[in-house]
Amino acid sequence: MKIFLIFLTFLALSIEAKLKIEISQGSKDLPKIAIVPFKSNMKIGESISMLIQDNLTLFGEFKALPKNEMLSFPSKEENFFYRDWNILNVDYVVIGNFQEENSEFINIEYFVFNISLNKLILRGDVSGNYSEKEKISKVISNRVYKSITGLNGVFDTKIAYILNPSREEYKICISDIDGTDEEVLFESSAPLMSPSWSSDLKKLAYVSFEKGYPEIYMQDLFSGKRESIKTLGLSNSAPVWSPDNKKLAFVMSSSGNPDIYIYNLRNKKISRHTTHYGIDTEPAWSPNSKKLLFTSNRSGSPQIYELTVSSNRIKRVTLDGDYNARASYFPDGKDIVLVHGNNGVFHIGTKKLRSRFINTISKTTLDESPTISPNGNIIIYATKNNSQGYLAGLTLDGKSKFTLPVKFGSVREPAWSPFMN
Amino acid sequence: MKTFNKIVILSIFPLVIGCATQVSDLVTSTNYSSAESDKYESVDKIDTNLDDLIYFEFDKASLSSDSKDLISEYVEFAKNAKAIRLEGHCDERGTREYNLALGEKRAIEVKNYLIIKGVSSSKIKVISYGEEKPIDINSNENAWKKNRRVEISLF
Repeated sequence: MKIFLIFLTFLALSIEAKLKIEISQGSKDLPKIAIVPFKSNMKIGESISMLIQDNLTLFGEFKALPKNEMLSFPSKEENFFYRDWNILNVDYVVIGNFQEENSEFINIEYFVFNISLNKLILRGDVSGNYSEKEKISKVISNRVYKSITGLNGVFDTKIAYILNPSREEYKICISDIDGTDEEVLFESSAPLMSPSWSSDLKKLAYVSFEKGYPEIYMQDLFSGKRESIKTLGLSNSAPVWSPDNKKLAFVMSSSGNPDIYIYNLRNKKISRHTTHYGIDTEPAWSPNSKKLLFTSNRSGSPQIYELTVSSNRIKRVTLDGDYNARASYFPDGKDIVLVHGNNGVFHIGTKKLRSRFINTISKTTLDESPTISPNGNIIIYATKNNSQGYLAGLTLDGKSKFTLPVKFGSVREPAWSPFMN
Repeated sequence: MKTFNKIVILSIFPLVIGCATQVSDLVTSTNYSSAESDKYESVDKIDTNLDDLIYFEFDKASLSSDSKDLISEYVEFAKNAKAIRLEGHCDERGTREYNLALGEKRAIEVKNYLIIKGVSSSKIKVISYGEEKPIDINSNENAWKKNRRVEISLF
């Protein structure tokens, strides 16, 4: 697989709040990986392998073998010996070398070995500009991750979130998932809510109160241009981009009756999909863009329902608990994540769409806004400690829990981007 | 007690992006941007000497009999006021978008009670901030109780 990388940068201001993932609870039986410093005539070799190591251990999914414990430093398949790594109980080894390197251009060849299988599982090749070494490292990390787990890596994905540096300051921020390249997309003295990525990663939809009432905006991430959706409703909220990028589901309220609507981005038409007098909100698209999960209090308390868009047929999804809300589908479309409340305590839960049981996966009590990694493996959510909002996350195999503290202010409403295609 | 900015925008939005026939059922009498109270600022606020906060139970929008009594005391002032602004709020528990809708239900509940008592609906403006603007930022019963509210302003 030979790829040449071209990267675009978003048009936005940079700030200094910066999310940083800190593993709070790791498992002892994590797979052990060794990233051997890539052979290089310049200093870059070691820095690339360190970046790859940082990526692969970012969410606490792997344990890295320190360089000083390595017995050999192979850079090519012919000087790689399995016994050197078997002795160290290493599960996977990544090696590499520079086919070409100068101050402008680099070309890296890399290999991944599965030690227990005695097998070379990946040989790859990447080239790009020297100045883009972080991004090149992310591409290699994704390939390595996929060769080992079978799942696509998320190291080049992004996260959007709302930052409150102070009570009257609201910022919509976007950063790489590792917290680097943080940018402010929009800021206001009035509340901002509900960021949602377009599936082509070119735009973000969100709710802004800048005019004194909730209104939906779609902002181009490259030009910064904003467009609002005008309706005659009392309020517009909860925008969500469909995975096929053709529609935006949202909530419009006429005379205090919030219902689910869909805005067709092609012909600019708006269609109504629920008509109940209770609250219908928090739509979330199925991966095939044909169904929507939503929260409704039509039964007397908030519960999750599934709507088939073509027929407007509605099916109740949650039965247990006095507060089930803000659900979204996993990439397989069969499982969902939601906010599950009982007696005033709110946790993140997961559930098979077609079974009754809700599995609680978070421990703090004011947990909300879960967002799923595009490979379906990790969840990040918002929670609070002493009235400061912060983000936390976990891997679904239960092996790692982490927090994403910021230096100042409160952070909330994380939205994990889709894959960069 | 609440200041809000003078809002200068179009009075009624045409559906800039949309097809009129498709969305005709969406057009309703209530509209934030056309509400009379947009013309007023906090300096124009009428001081009624009444408590301007109506409180609610968790995840509920219904009015207690005490709340109904308080709103009734507003009726004469409201009939003479040029504009009425009702701002709905929730505590931090539960989800943000749901709370935005719940805050709106709370404000609408107060609005409907005023209408029943003879106040003209056209001068009432309703807005919800959900859980975005708490009075008390602490995470305890006492703070939550204060934050589940509708704020009444007369102009």
